Amino acid sequence: MTQPLLEVKNISVEFKTRGGALKAIDDLSIDVQPGEILGLVGESGAGKSMMGAAILGLIDPPGRLSKGEIWFKGRRIDQNPETLRGCEISMIFQDPLVSLNPLKKIGDQLVETILRHKQMSRAQAIDRARKGLIEVGIDPERLNAYPHTFSGGMRQRVVIALALAPEPSLIIADEPTTALDVSVQAQILELLKKLCRGRGTSIILITHDMGVISETADRVGVLYSGRLAEIGSTNQVLKSSKHPYTQGLVASTPKIDPASFGQSLYQIPGSMPKLDAIPTGCAFHPRCTREIEKCSQERPPMMKNTAACWLLEGTRQGI
Amino acid sequence: MSFITAKNLTRHYDLSDPWIVRQLTFRPKRFLTAVNDVSFSVEKGTTYALVGESGSGKSTIAKMAVGLLAPSAGTITLDNHNLNDPNLSPQNQQAMRRRIQMVFQSPYASLNPRWRVGDILAEPIQSFDLIQGAKNQAKRVDELLEQVGLSPRDAKKYPHEFSGGQRQRISIARALSSQPEVIICDEPTSALDVSVQAQVLNLLKSLQKEFSLTYLFITHDLAVVSSVANRIGVLNKGALVEEASPKDIFTNPKQDYTRMLLNAAPKML
Amino acid sequence: MKRFFSSDFFYDFMRSPVALVSFLIVLFLILSAVFAGIIAPTNPFDAASLNLMNGFTPPMEPNLFTGDVFWMGTDDQGRDLFSAILYGLRISLFVGAMAVALATVMGVLLGLIAGYMGGWLDNLIMRFADIQMTFPSILVAMLIFGVARGILPPELRDEMAITVLIVSIGLSEWVPFARTVRGSTLVEKEKEYIAAARLIGLNRWQIMIRHILPNVLNPVLVIATITLALAIIAEATLSFLGVGAPRTEPSLGTLIRVGQDFLFSGEWWILLFPASTLLALALSVNLFGDWLRDKLNPRLK
Repeated sequence: MTQPLLEVKNISVEFKTRGGALKAIDDLSIDVQPGEILGLVGESGAGKSMMGAAILGLIDPPGRLSKGEIWFKGRRIDQNPETLRGCEISMIFQDPLVSLNPLKKIGDQLVETILRHKQMSRAQAIDRARKGLIEVGIDPERLNAYPHTFSGGMRQRVVIALALAPEPSLIIADEPTTALDVSVQAQILELLKKLCRGRGTSIILITHDMGVISETADRVGVLYSGRLAEIGSTNQVLKSSKHPYTQGLVASTPKIDPASFGQSLYQIPGSMPKLDAIPTGCAFHPRCTREIEKCSQERPPMMKNTAACWLLEGTRQGI
Repeated sequence: MSFITAKNLTRHYDLSDPWIVRQLTFRPKRFLTAVNDVSFSVEKGTTYALVGESGSGKSTIAKMAVGLLAPSAGTITLDNHNLNDPNLSPQNQQAMRRRIQMVFQSPYASLNPRWRVGDILAEPIQSFDLIQGAKNQAKRVDELLEQVGLSPRDAKKYPHEFSGGQRQRISIARALSSQPEVIICDEPTSALDVSVQAQVLNLLKSLQKEFSLTYLFITHDLAVVSSVANRIGVLNKGALVEEASPKDIFTNPKQDYTRMLLNAAPKML
Repeated sequence: MKRFFSSDFFYDFMRSPVALVSFLIVLFLILSAVFAGIIAPTNPFDAASLNLMNGFTPPMEPNLFTGDVFWMGTDDQGRDLFSAILYGLRISLFVGAMAVALATVMGVLLGLIAGYMGGWLDNLIMRFADIQMTFPSILVAMLIFGVARGILPPELRDEMAITVLIVSIGLSEWVPFARTVRGSTLVEKEKEYIAAARLIGLNRWQIMIRHILPNVLNPVLVIATITLALAIIAEATLSFLGVGAPRTEPSLGTLIRVGQDFLFSGEWWILLFPASTLLALALSVNLFGDWLRDKLNPRLK
């Protein structure tokens, strides 16, 4: 096993409120291997965006990383993440409208990013910026254009170019295609895949869309109530899910499949608990159709490196 | 028997510069055609899905169907009555409005944040003068809440106390309160999580059965449509490019655009 | 009521020294004004009770002729300054509050109409607002005041002075309300719950008042508080200039004007006490308004 690029060890993110501390992320551990695309899937409030923010140290008070460590390339980074931001670890956000400065030409924004992280002359930086634009499929003559002259999909391409400019080892993409049309979404995902495979960059792809995961990610982690419910290869997690929540999620996703025409969708009963009302034991147990007594008493650890579920206990332990 | 009929429905937007600018620069008037000569018909009790990307005109058609926007040309009629007819008397207009309601996309913006849920649901009942007396109205509100899977206790709460999926249920309850025959669903689940989406779609389905509702379902998500629609119309830049049953659209798409949409949709393994 | 006391707002309020102190000062001043009749040792406007010999008595010193002691001294006509200030506070607060009420109602209504109806009406209202804003509000108030005075027959002038004062200050302060409410209206208008209201056949006024109004009122409270401070100062300014509350019914501004005449001849108290009271009032209202604005702002999500 090669050394992981990013190791998140038992982190918790807490928010201090009048009523006490709320845990947005609770004792979560996950790794990212070099060159892989890791999907983080979960519904709203599960904590997936919080994860991305936590890695880059972008959590604002009253929230904070209350526990755990984050290691990147063998160095601990949770104490001072600023040095890596934008340089070794880049981020792509959901809304291309607000990720780009509307008052600056995109060329200027690209060059500024390049010069911040790499030593080179301005002319060289401009050249790099042009190459970057070509790579994402934009005419380099548009270096002097303003963001509002681009469509949503094109803007997201610019954002990708910006993220790739400092040649990071890891890109955190937080719902990069949610605001885009389906046809454009497919193109952007293809682009991301191609560019990252080509450079060996890892991606943490945060989304709520199982379809996006299925087409793009190598491995996927399923989050529920700030905890990791399941982790594994995409194939494994989607086709033979072990955690009842994952199974429910997959079953309730509408599919383009002649067999499912006119059928009612499977629905998971209830809804994700609010942060101040997380059940004891397994966070999912009140909605689980297969819960056993232990589920409401003790929180299940990650079993067999696959799913955090008591139902997997008793089957052979080990890696 | 066609219940909702769109005939040559067209809608232009005038994007011209102001008159004086045009005089000085000799620019011609510019129009944007959001909906271009669209015709379709929906049978009573069925669900017709209008699928398209942003800018396809689907929301515009929804607004015209409900009377929020007047067509530039063509008509859209409900049971042969035209909601956009300028000669309609206020009473007739109100009677028409009762029969057709809408569920909106955003669970956050579709309920007045300053009103209690009970008042939000009672308002249509009062406006259409369906039930008299506060007590009877309150009973009907409780009934509506239960029909969408919520509880009468929720009538006292404010919208922000509910999750997105629950808010959509409240929206659906509001649409049901006038006992309509048609509900226009404008991307009702696009803003919801997958598991919540399933609940809301199933709810819509069961309500359709129970009350013999006719749905015009607007969406950009082909997969969602496969589980709810009896018939699908594909819109591209304001024009209806293909129309068929779900089975035909998915197994044998005839138009390039439809094929492109199908291919682009992320597929589950 | 209970919900308010257990709310985040109240919690923060109790923990902010600025908010607490300024609020308490304002409360104290308001109560003093309301109960002026009971607290004041004399009625300074009852001409019969005045003793000219009491004039120019310094604070807390017995008068050379009558031996009476006055907490804050007396003015040139023997009026007890303490009582005069209490009654003056009343006028200042009354005029301020009523002017703000007028400005609020007018501004909110015009803002709603401009925002929701749009078109030429919106243009008309907003251009009018723009024109008015090019003049300092004091000048606008003076203009309206002067015009009103010119129209009114002389017997009514003094009586109506307070009313005219209220109207002129109120009419000069409506614009910030209108602009803010118009902006919020434009945003709310596009939201789907308004479309839903149209779908059940509500007319424009019903939608504006029932649905939009409750949602655009948030910033209004803050603007009203800050405008109150402005109105109080405006009233004081007008009275100071001689075009406001008359000497027969003086407000704090009038008292300051009177005091100013005597400042350099040594009777400092006639100016100092009314001025300090005005300062305390305006400052506290301002500080509270500022705190309110910061508190309510991030929560406007």
